[in-house]
Amino acid sequence: MVVGDFDPDESEQTHSNKPAPPSTLKPDVDKIVNDPFVSIHKSTEPEANNPPKAVRSASPSDSAKLMRERSIRTNRRLRFIECLRKDDINIAELRKLAWAGTPSTLRPVVWPLLLGYLPLAAPARSATLTRKREEYRSLVELAFKKERQGLDQQIWHQIEIDVPRTRPGTRLWMQEHTQRSLERILYVWAIRHPASGYVQGINDLVTPFFQVFLSAYIDSDPEQFDAALLPENVRDAVEADSFWCLSRLLDGIQDNYIATQPGIQRSVKRMAELVARIDAPLYAHLESESVEFMQFAFRWMNCLLMREISVQNTIRMWDTYLAEGTDAFSQFHLYVCSAFLVKWSEKLRKMDFQGIIMFLQSPPTQDWDDHEIEMLLSEAFVLNSIWHNAQSHFGAK
Amino acid sequence: MAEGSNYDYLFKVVLIGDSGVGKSNLLSRFTRNEFNLDSKSTIGVEFATRTINVDGKTVKAQIWDTAGQERYRAITSAYYRGAVGALLVYDIAKHATYANVTRWLKELRDHADANIVIMLVGNKSDLKHLRAVPTEEAKTFATENELSFIETSALDASNVESAFQTILTDIYRIVSSKTLEQSSDPIKAPTSDTIPVAIDSAAPASGSKCC
Ligand SMILES: Nc1nc2c(ncn2[C@@H]2O[C@H](COP(=O)(O)OP(=O)(O)OP(=O)(O)O)[C@@H](O)[C@H]2O)c(=O)[nH]1
Ligand SMILES: [Mg+2]
Repeated sequence: MVVGDFDPDESEQTHSNKPAPPSTLKPDVDKIVNDPFVSIHKSTEPEANNPPKAVRSASPSDSAKLMRERSIRTNRRLRFIECLRKDDINIAELRKLAWAGTPSTLRPVVWPLLLGYLPLAAPARSATLTRKREEYRSLVELAFKKERQGLDQQIWHQIEIDVPRTRPGTRLWMQEHTQRSLERILYVWAIRHPASGYVQGINDLVTPFFQVFLSAYIDSDPEQFDAALLPENVRDAVEADSFWCLSRLLDGIQDNYIATQPGIQRSVKRMAELVARIDAPLYAHLESESVEFMQFAFRWMNCLLMREISVQNTIRMWDTYLAEGTDAFSQFHLYVCSAFLVKWSEKLRKMDFQGIIMFLQSPPTQDWDDHEIEMLLSEAFVLNSIWHNAQSHFGAK
Repeated sequence: MAEGSNYDYLFKVVLIGDSGVGKSNLLSRFTRNEFNLDSKSTIGVEFATRTINVDGKTVKAQIWDTAGQERYRAITSAYYRGAVGALLVYDIAKHATYANVTRWLKELRDHADANIVIMLVGNKSDLKHLRAVPTEEAKTFATENELSFIETSALDASNVESAFQTILTDIYRIVSSKTLEQSSDPIKAPTSDTIPVAIDSAAPASGSKCC
């Protein structure tokens, strides 16, 4: 859909120059819809799909390292499964495991558990899922029962403009079915939250959930999936689960989206205070070039860095955020943003106003791999543990 | 990054108007000659520059593209300060975006410098079959409100260059005539070459056009 030069950032990332791979549905989707845990109860075999992209062509000297990495992964996976198989899941244990990253096939159950959408107690799960999905369905019916004229025009208008601009160029998101689901999720959320309504950027936040939930039912890449292949009940389940998980995430950062966006203003201010302490030379340089934190960090807060990094990276990042608790999307995130900024300190200190702004509004981080995200998360962890208590003291500046 | 210093004048310009009218595409067309049918929405502001020639002088435009959604108004209006020009964009195929122009003018009155140069831009002129705002109507409105006016298409590139060229020339003429009026004053160089020239304190930037 691109005329003129193509912006190479997103769509090509995972499948450069290859035709869209076939979309394959798992054979037992109907079982999975009713009990997302089926795969956990039967699985003992190590994760076969999703090899990390960095090790595709390893030299012989790398192969020992590769084997070691693989066995670490298998071990981690087994520990997850052990934790998830318990009738009453120990949430502290699950958080600890998830902090360091959740295996991709387990995310569709781990994320809703961490968000409190799925009950920890096994017997309650199926009934809860059925009830929540039913509830979402009636919310949708209620919201759309009066056809188009009955909609809140202002909210609907903005959603209509933004849906086709969500993950442009990515097959999954350019399809009719997915776009209609996204529209419903956004609209129902918005009218239930009149203080904020729909705010641009929230559309981005739906995509990790939707892709993770979709991945439970398919054996191919969610981003390249042909949504027409999904049975209706599965599509409804993916949509409803995404809606409820999005709602829980947003509950923790509502302040970001209400009038004047005080949550973001606060976070940006605290971020500036923090950077002044952890990297005084950078802070001084930004100040001398008249660069304001708001000029670049606003978007980092508003879209949780989703405009700066890939969805794959975001999903890995959310493993850790969700393990920290929904607070992390405002609290821990500010440490992540600070670490993200000071990472470029040396470069930035050699740039002038224009250079700094141009660099920070499109940093070279679109094809980061998991390793780079994990480095960032551990830097943020260190900052958080050093400064979190101190922040209340220097808030009075 | 010394690239920024080869100019005689630096003008800060803002792009404003409803969401979806094509502000970001106008900017990418002007600064990179790119158009994207499915561009992402702008969150907060985005920044780009381009240097052009006006009456033999090198003029650098520092352009802030703002988010159109109402919710971002508190954030984006801060960028009006110090701007010497504004492109107020509507979509010729969506009447509501034209009806909102009055509200945008009020935004500018409330937050921008009093003598900011404003150009009304009817974008998406390629959508002829969908036209909802007659050219004459917009032209009359612009005249009544002392705005310059142009219709553009970021898609087929028509008039985009001309829109920016016109507003930058208008700004330049005002700025340079003021400089002449005050010619007894010594010409002050801005403290930093990234500080935009405000019309009130018009002065050529200290462009390093040495030898
Ligand atoms: N036909 C046509 N479509 C255009 C033109 N300019 C922009 N568009 C399309 O209009 C949609 C919105 O364009 P944007 O440039 O993102 O709009 P915007 O004003 O920046 O929107 P916000 O960032 O939300 O404020 C995109 O799908 C563009 O491809 C144009 O001149 N002609
Ligand atoms: Mg835009």
